[in-house]
Amino acid sequence: MKYVPKEIKEEVNVTAVHPLVNFGYLLGTVTLAGVILYASLGFIAARLATRIGPETEEKIGNTLIAGLISDPESASDDRIIYLTALAESLTPQDPSLPPLKIHILQPETASEDDLANSENAFAIAGGHIVFTQGLLEAVESENELAFVLAHEMGHLHNRDSLKAMGRSLVFLMLVSVLGQGQSGGARVIPATINVANLSYSRSQESAADRYAIALIVQHYDHGGGSLGFFERMQQQELDLGALNTVTEWQSTHPLTRARISRIKQIAAAQNWKMQGELTPLPEGISCVDFVCED
Amino acid sequence: MEFIIFIALLAIGFFAGSYAEQKHYLEIKQRERKSLHVPLMNFGAKQELPYAHEAQMFVGSVVIANDYFKTFAATLHNLVGGRVVVYESLLDRGRREAVLRMKEEAIAWGASQVVNVRFETSNIGGQETTRTPAMVEVIVYGTGIR
Repeated sequence: MKYVPKEIKEEVNVTAVHPLVNFGYLLGTVTLAGVILYASLGFIAARLATRIGPETEEKIGNTLIAGLISDPESASDDRIIYLTALAESLTPQDPSLPPLKIHILQPETASEDDLANSENAFAIAGGHIVFTQGLLEAVESENELAFVLAHEMGHLHNRDSLKAMGRSLVFLMLVSVLGQGQSGGARVIPATINVANLSYSRSQESAADRYAIALIVQHYDHGGGSLGFFERMQQQELDLGALNTVTEWQSTHPLTRARISRIKQIAAAQNWKMQGELTPLPEGISCVDFVCED
Repeated sequence: MEFIIFIALLAIGFFAGSYAEQKHYLEIKQRERKSLHVPLMNFGAKQELPYAHEAQMFVGSVVIANDYFKTFAATLHNLVGGRVVVYESLLDRGRREAVLRMKEEAIAWGASQVVNVRFETSNIGGQETTRTPAMVEVIVYGTGIR
């Protein structure tokens, strides 16, 4: 048999599909499955978490707060009494929820200095609301402070912190199961779930804002000045035009600009006054026990 | 930030990887046409080997690295299954390049044909614990006769 050289033109060993098409299909399948799993399991976990009784919630909350503030029980600060009274005047304690406990995060006692100096407030399961020293230094009227307080009370009212705990449990489980042995999978799944989660978190923030503005209007008869804190924050925020939506996807809170306009829309729809006299803050709100040394 | 780095690595992997692959395929096809006149033959144990004055073994080996994009696409394949398209071209390139290296050496020696060609593949790097992108080595060897 004679050998006749013949060039083989067809590529039988390589599937004729563009790598990007194949990649798109892969990524689509994996993210879709991840998001569906996370959404359904997360929903169940959040529902289950809200069934936790107030005593258990308090226990969980106490462990969480202990990691943040050293010795939260012994902290005595007249400002806490003032803030608790303010919270009580906004709305009476809901008996089905753990009693409200207010903390002030001081740079000296907090485990993280940066957090204490930032202008922030957050709610922790078990009825804890934490104000940072930085926030108390930045507020300019009681209305502003009350809005922040009411917003965090809204989170506690909606039991958002517990829901978040339930969902993060599912999140960790999914990451460890799906990400097992996969360097790539371990990266992409958290990222997509995170985006899905952030949108959920933003809707919780908006719900807390709605709750807060209703309390504020009820208490002060107007919503004036309550958004002053956000308006100052907005000035620091970059306006990226069309890119704003993109940055919003990556954040836990709605953009301050969008937030203000949403709150104003709610107020307009309810015919709430958004102007009025401001209630001044007590003297020395930025210092422990209202006593400033210099 | 971590995500941006990851996307950038993917993009680098994809563009650099596909550029290298296209260039490699063009070169492979050209060299294959040039070395087409020397046949590769395999004979069974009881078959008579072609008559030769001289015989020598030739080895061609090549190591081809995976790129970031391929690694990532393959890990996704680990979740859903199916043909790992991105690795098919990688191994195909490795085999053809190794054959070409062996053949070109044999041709330079003056072989009329290369008989009993064997392929071996082994994995280099890509340890289980560190999950570094793997590299594949393809060795082809055969007996050149003249």
